[in-house]
Amino acid sequence: MMTRWSERVADINDLLLDRQIFDADGHPVGKVDDLELVDANDGGPPVLSAILCGPMAFGPRLGGALGLWWLSVARRLRPDADPTPVRIPFDQVASVDRKQVCLSTRGEDEGPQRLRRWTRDKIVSKIPGGQS
Amino acid sequence: MLTLGVMTAIGGFVDIGNLVTSGVTGARFDVSLAWAVALGTIGMVVYGEMAGRVTAVAQRPVFHVVRERLGVRFGLLNLVAACALSALALTAEIGGVALSLELASDVSYLLWVPLVALGVWGVTWRMKFQYMERIFGLMGLALLVFVVALFFLPTDWGALLSSATHPSVPASESYPTYFFYAVSLVGACIVPYQVVFFSAGGLEEGWTVDSLAEMRLNVLVGFPLGGILTLAIMACSAVVLMPLQVNVSHLGEVGLPAAVAFGKAGLAFALVGFFAATFAAAAETALSTGYSMGQYFGWSWGKWLRPTEAPRFHVVVLGTLLLGTAFVLTTIDPIKVTIVSVVLGAAAIPLTYLPILVTANDRDYLGEHVNGWFANALGVLVLLMMLVVSLVAVPLLLWTKAGQ
Repeated sequence: MMTRWSERVADINDLLLDRQIFDADGHPVGKVDDLELVDANDGGPPVLSAILCGPMAFGPRLGGALGLWWLSVARRLRPDADPTPVRIPFDQVASVDRKQVCLSTRGEDEGPQRLRRWTRDKIVSKIPGGQS
Repeated sequence: MLTLGVMTAIGGFVDIGNLVTSGVTGARFDVSLAWAVALGTIGMVVYGEMAGRVTAVAQRPVFHVVRERLGVRFGLLNLVAACALSALALTAEIGGVALSLELASDVSYLLWVPLVALGVWGVTWRMKFQYMERIFGLMGLALLVFVVALFFLPTDWGALLSSATHPSVPASESYPTYFFYAVSLVGACIVPYQVVFFSAGGLEEGWTVDSLAEMRLNVLVGFPLGGILTLAIMACSAVVLMPLQVNVSHLGEVGLPAAVAFGKAGLAFALVGFFAATFAAAAETALSTGYSMGQYFGWSWGKWLRPTEAPRFHVVVLGTLLLGTAFVLTTIDPIKVTIVSVVLGAAAIPLTYLPILVTANDRDYLGEHVNGWFANALGVLVLLMMLVVSLVAVPLLLWTKAGQ
């Protein structure tokens, strides 16, 4: 699905940051923790290319010593050698309004859901009654 | 249908903090602090209705709104404060449940603590939200024994009324102590976890814009009921304990008036009520940490999902419970923990309630259901009151050494 973002004029601070993200099934994915902007090819204003979310994006957003600490903890917990924040490319965004960001994709265990998967598999499903 | 409001009020208003504070103040100040309970109840009704409306219409409970309005850093500060306070309150509530069981069984409360923690965890882990509401809402109604007792005790209604309507500081007490207890009573009525629980509970029950009438009924019946129970316990304490100059420092003394009025049966009702109220509060505080974290970070949360569908939520709830249990087992006095947590809570209140007021005025969220002038006027007045309370709370706590 095409996003119609380019048609909208909005203040990113007001409209996007800290909004709730839902996937195509309406399940919560996370929050818009940060945004990725790239320079436009034609030398125009920067273009919004992706939503960043998860602890790796949250840390820098916090800023200061606390943000740095948050980031380094998040980095340690990631299995990959060169961890980057979870990216949701903007062409996966189906709609945006004041209240929420809806994606056109679904995917239970991908990207931002790693912590969810880990707590589910390692803790919750091992406790009696956690499976059903 | 009314159970969410009643459960929220039984566990939120009449938790261990309120039981003890109203018992203590009744015995020390007569009912001259009734105004503080009335103010707190009004504040809770105003903001409970607003938060309930934002939840029902926009499907956004408290900590969604907190993060959206306060941003990442202030939101996080608020989240940390709210979770720390809930954990402290949880410690006190687990202690309170165990103390009620000690009163009923003569077995030391410390032995009850692990069992209580297991019970609370079982309720948060498996019990359906609706059953939880009904069971504890109904059991908590046993506290009405304090209202009935007032009619069987040699109550001088004229004296009570004049003490309530002409507040004055008794000669034996100082002004700072009087206002310290006033702040504690207001703080116990408007504890932040209560509004977090109420709004998340609305989503658990599947509120939509059509549920506004049901939500308002819950607010208008539940919270005032909590206020009345608080006042009844205070009045009983004033009628029975003040003439005897009992220095209330234990849950048992709070239940004494019911025993004086109705003997063993009265005491049994009081104990069942204490148990239900503190148990409900323990479940509320534990769940509300999970609710607030889940809402702040955008996780899937809630008891309507199976544990495997909201695993982070359940891990947070379980972690908080373990922390609270460990803290009670250090043999720290649950009643002191309560008083401190209520007063610190009072200091953190405006940060939770301001975003609700702002969002309740946002037409993108609420459409035609935004605040009218009346709700806004009340909301601003209550917020000003909270601001005063939050500024004086900590200085009074230190100055009066927690009301001694």
